[in-house]
Amino acid sequence: MAATNPSVFLLMVNGQVESAKGLEEGISQITSKSQDVRRALVWNFPIDVTFKSTNPYGWPQIVLSVYGPDMFGNDVVRGYGAVHVPFSPGRHKRTIPMFVPESTSKLQKFTSWFMGRRPEYTDPKVLAQGEGREVTRVRSQGFVTLLFNVVTKDMRKLGYDTGPADTHGIPGPSLPQGISG
Amino acid sequence: MAEVHVIGQIIGATGFSESSLFCKWGIHTGAAWKLLSGVREGQTQVDTPQVGDMAYWSHPIDLHFATKGLQGWPRLHLQVWSQDSFGRCQLEGYGFCHVPSSPGTHQLDCSTWRPLGSWREQLARAFVGGGPQLLHADTIYSGADRYRLHTAAGGTVRLELSLLLRHFDRYGVEC
Repeated sequence: MAATNPSVFLLMVNGQVESAKGLEEGISQITSKSQDVRRALVWNFPIDVTFKSTNPYGWPQIVLSVYGPDMFGNDVVRGYGAVHVPFSPGRHKRTIPMFVPESTSKLQKFTSWFMGRRPEYTDPKVLAQGEGREVTRVRSQGFVTLLFNVVTKDMRKLGYDTGPADTHGIPGPSLPQGISG
Repeated sequence: MAEVHVIGQIIGATGFSESSLFCKWGIHTGAAWKLLSGVREGQTQVDTPQVGDMAYWSHPIDLHFATKGLQGWPRLHLQVWSQDSFGRCQLEGYGFCHVPSSPGTHQLDCSTWRPLGSWREQLARAFVGGGPQLLHADTIYSGADRYRLHTAAGGTVRLELSLLLRHFDRYGVEC
């Protein structure tokens, strides 16, 4: 049976949002900072998605928004971050920086801290594109680690070369750092 | 026609003397290259790091080029500026690097430099701010007329760029 020429390629991604370090406060959904010296935040949140496309332009990105309660108990945004899904098949680990939008004037900063209404993006998708960012001011704080497994189908048949898989040296679904064995 | 996808991020910058930084970036290509999708230039947000000295932008870059030749391989040029609490902007460095030519994900560290003026201008910059800037931005990525410049080193911009190449093997190009 002759193989037909494909017109689309498939991208299948699975993985997890692993851990965060360095964020100001530690409560999110069901996670608090651990009591030991690591002070790590672990979500272990699964990601499992498949995409279909004819063109790598607009390659998928994961956009993260992290929220937490402030001193008065309101849920405020603690960080935004975005990263492209890796391109080559295999296992990949990405640690991404998180940042928070900031008001320009000190009075506005005090008012938003007091009222519990901090500046946030109305649509976090703005982080996945570059336009319109030149007027925003942000403060970067904290990192989030993500683990990806990527499988692609028919990219090579369509003529795309994504380069070597860069997965050597990445250990298995890992224990948070600090625990040996 | 062969196609090149440049997809990645301007991650951030480190080693600059000021801390509220933003970056203006652009991609310059030769005449044989045509941009099919994506924006060729942009500007990141202003970031003030709370921990450590690295400013993080995570600015996405997604470009799709079609090309008839290898000359004029894309060059990414950058201008790093700082913004103070009054909203004034000051140049911190110019830099450029060629987009990598082999497929895969690459971590790039782009060094920057800034023009030094006379000792009067350097003194004024230390007290009041400002300082000389290039009149034509293409001096950043071209070699002509550079002998007139006297510059000092700035910090480093970190980028992560991934290259996807299409149909390069059809034309016998090895990379």
